[in-house]
Amino acid sequence: MPTKPTGPVQVRMYDVGFGDCFLLSVPYATGARHVLIDFGTTHGAPSAHMLSVAKDIATTCGGKLTAVVATHRHRDHIEGFATRKGGKGPGDVIASLKPDLVIQPWTEHPKAAPDATEPPKDRKALRLEIQSLSARQELAASLVARLKATRTIPRDLDYLAGNNLRNVSAVENLMRMGKKGKAEYVYSGFKTDLSKLLPGVKVHVLGPPTVRQTDTVLKQRQSDQDEFWMLRLKMSRPPSKAVGASLPREKQGTASRVPQHARWFVGQMKSIELAEVRSIVESLDKAMNNTSVILLFEAGSQRLLFPGDAQIENWAYALDPKRGFRKLLEGVTVYKVGHHGSRNATPKTLWNLFKARRSSGGKGLVSLISTMPEVHGSVNNRSEVPRETLVDALKAAGPLHSTEDFRGASLAQTL
Amino acid sequence: MANADRKPRTRRRTRASHVPRPTRLLRIIGQTPSFLDSKGRIVTDSVPVPAEVLSPGPRGYRVCVVDFDASKGTYRPAAAVPRGQANDRYLDANDSVLLSDPGFHAQNAYAIVMRTLARFEFALGRRVSWGFYGHQLQVAPHGIEDANAFYSEAAHGLTFGHFTGARSGKPVYTCLSHDIVAHETTHAIVDGLRDMYTDAALPDQAAFHEGFADIVALLSIFAIPRVMRASIEKVAKTGRPVNAAWLKESALLGIAEELGSELSPSLGRAEALRRSITIEPDPRLLSDPAYQEPHSRGEILVHPMLNAFVDVWSERVKPFVRSGSVTATRLWEEAAEAADHLLTMSIRALDYCPPLDLTFGDYLSALLTSDMVLVPDDSKYGYRDRLRKHFGAWGIAPSSKGGLETGAWQGPHHGLRRGQAISTERVHFDSLRTDPDEVFRFLWENRSALRVYDDAYTRVTSLRPCKRVGPDGFVLHETVAEYYQKIDCTANDLRSLGLKQPPDMDGHQQVTLFGGGTLIFDEFGTLRYHVRKRIDNLKHQQEKLEYLWTHRLIDRFGRLGSASVLAGDERFARLHQARMGASLSRAAEW
Repeated sequence: MPTKPTGPVQVRMYDVGFGDCFLLSVPYATGARHVLIDFGTTHGAPSAHMLSVAKDIATTCGGKLTAVVATHRHRDHIEGFATRKGGKGPGDVIASLKPDLVIQPWTEHPKAAPDATEPPKDRKALRLEIQSLSARQELAASLVARLKATRTIPRDLDYLAGNNLRNVSAVENLMRMGKKGKAEYVYSGFKTDLSKLLPGVKVHVLGPPTVRQTDTVLKQRQSDQDEFWMLRLKMSRPPSKAVGASLPREKQGTASRVPQHARWFVGQMKSIELAEVRSIVESLDKAMNNTSVILLFEAGSQRLLFPGDAQIENWAYALDPKRGFRKLLEGVTVYKVGHHGSRNATPKTLWNLFKARRSSGGKGLVSLISTMPEVHGSVNNRSEVPRETLVDALKAAGPLHSTEDFRGASLAQTL
Repeated sequence: MANADRKPRTRRRTRASHVPRPTRLLRIIGQTPSFLDSKGRIVTDSVPVPAEVLSPGPRGYRVCVVDFDASKGTYRPAAAVPRGQANDRYLDANDSVLLSDPGFHAQNAYAIVMRTLARFEFALGRRVSWGFYGHQLQVAPHGIEDANAFYSEAAHGLTFGHFTGARSGKPVYTCLSHDIVAHETTHAIVDGLRDMYTDAALPDQAAFHEGFADIVALLSIFAIPRVMRASIEKVAKTGRPVNAAWLKESALLGIAEELGSELSPSLGRAEALRRSITIEPDPRLLSDPAYQEPHSRGEILVHPMLNAFVDVWSERVKPFVRSGSVTATRLWEEAAEAADHLLTMSIRALDYCPPLDLTFGDYLSALLTSDMVLVPDDSKYGYRDRLRKHFGAWGIAPSSKGGLETGAWQGPHHGLRRGQAISTERVHFDSLRTDPDEVFRFLWENRSALRVYDDAYTRVTSLRPCKRVGPDGFVLHETVAEYYQKIDCTANDLRSLGLKQPPDMDGHQQVTLFGGGTLIFDEFGTLRYHVRKRIDNLKHQQEKLEYLWTHRLIDRFGRLGSASVLAGDERFARLHQARMGASLSRAAEW
């Protein structure tokens, strides 16, 4: 039984198009142990590519994974876990690596009961939030489908909506792997067995906070919101049959039937409808990002931070000085840039804590970013991903490794 | 020839008997379709709206109904609208027709919008423009499949959603809810009267838009006799003594709960309205994080208004209760009177509000002043005392510390230095009523006396002559003008202006500071009130600057404090979404 790593932790970063896929390898005298953090894609990676990535993971880890982490449910983080009939999907390859542990956020717990020690009232709130997330997912999917039935929708909205669609195969595969090995549905402060599986490495779970961990005002607002989304989904469904008060069915209108005086207004209304659907999809996207597991690996002098796509709301809990995580965060040496470098996933408070930044007199903060330009947002409204100002700051802080650097040239890069 | 002979005769007869009527009656749903009378029928009433010859839609001189459903992409052609006072196609229609006939939905929306607009014009004594360049507000009664309804400045219109009732499974049409139609119409009107109230500012201002829209919607409903009657009849059987608590619980809460029953989850109506009535006043709530969101904070404004209404109402029925002659009719008649008076007061107060950066205290001072000018003797029912008391319970003091009456605005001569006077020597009285340039000249000539900062861009944005009937029965002519001032600078310039740059603000950050005032001239062209937000009030500017910066209320060009943080069409729709969880803090972003 090894007691400590024999060298520094290695990170292998895969190009999966727009998505995250990182393989951590901890060397021991008895052989390295490997942790796969996310395996997703949404852009530019055909399934054959994902299968090659899966096979490369299998080769690199020598046929055995110690753990799989699926930070959150977005396709760009879990798509690769999907299986195929005949057992030849990338997810089948990962399952064959028999991970001892599968780590997911508490919001993925199949029975919505991640912590039996929680008082019943809190358990109810947890369940409500989990149900609300799937209600939102269903609502957004139906609204986008409705919109698509009447017009072509903008590319970025189409992308965002697709990323938030349920990937049943991947979700089920993760669950199955968890059953075969061990499944952990984690939250801030959770004591993960990963620390035991990686002797000499301390693994801290910084997020996501549970409903109980959120302060009272927010908690109330949260549960109001949860109920709101579930009701809203019900409202979007067609009325029950024997209702009597439905309007007579309209004839499908064509542009020529709309009288001249109304055409301008009709155009305006179409934009309003689009904006409404967009805001619902965006809010779902954000809520989903905020379920991200935030892990910090402490190995010797190395501290590696993997925050998934956690945005400010998720981070707010861990960054509160009362939680005692600040000291740990100060020592981060390797930072997996949150949410592909978007403007609101690397809170300034967090950034200012990193002592390794050159600007703070450190040796240099190593950053890893999986990204692809022109998928998300635009420079005009300062929402481009990765955000230029953040990329500049990362470059100034130390070496920045991006999937952009080796895209097309090789599958992965080991650091 | 015989025919030709007959025709002109008919025409002559018609002309001779034709007296144009100012209004026509249209049937509307009094409250919501779920509010039923004792016989189980939807409570409806025929209300007067300005008479006009309508095109199919209905489309009239201020409102055009366009039945387009953006979610389905379908347009429903409208039926012709019969002419004439007595011609209401739906006068005798049964409930199922009211619920399922899109023509009635269109009429209901049209009539409530027109009624609300007419109510504003009556109170203000002048035509009231919408908040966009155009005369006709577009109204989509089934505009979107969504549990939402909103005003959009960019679309020049109101969009009413329809959806499946979460509890009943039945279709719900927001265009049939009086409260929602009046609320959204009020947004459109206030945006026309005070377009800077949608700008980024301290939380009171956005909350005012929401709270005020609720006040207008609720008081309009209380002023519909049949609604009040149905509400009172329902609870009159309980036999409890009639007093303020009874009125509050029975009638008001009843109405609030009905309004929200199907709509609550969508717009938070039931909870919000119930809270507006039952919440215990607590000054600490004004600084509570949960009450910074516009709708929630708006509830704080609604509470004192409704409580003043209940007080006045119970005061009005007291003599009848004492003499044992109180009847349901007396109760609802008095409610309608009290609601109507308060509604006029609430609307008139807008003319006495500053053009920007409104606070609840400003609105209270405006309420007190506008009513005092028109009804100097308040001793009968004590509307103003009750308002002072109920606002006071929330820790909301009038912004004015003096005035002819406690809390009313002070005259423009207050604060003049010795020897200083407001001069009208070089301005022309007639032009002052019609020409913004003349008002600007007045402002410029008196910039020192009026403390108008002269190192800022200044513009007179509106000039509105209005007529009102005073307490003595005589017509009062007033002129209301608004101006604003603006300074565009960078954070580096803040120090030279006497302001502190927030520590984490970059020196190159673009910043806009605003100030301005409302000028009220009497019929002799004498300035009676100058309600202002001075651009050089450093305490106010510093507070606003820090608030905007903390919440990163930055426009899409990166400017802090500029007019539109959100594009026009998004402001109200987003507000309704924001209530359900959008984050307001962008302080940590890149």
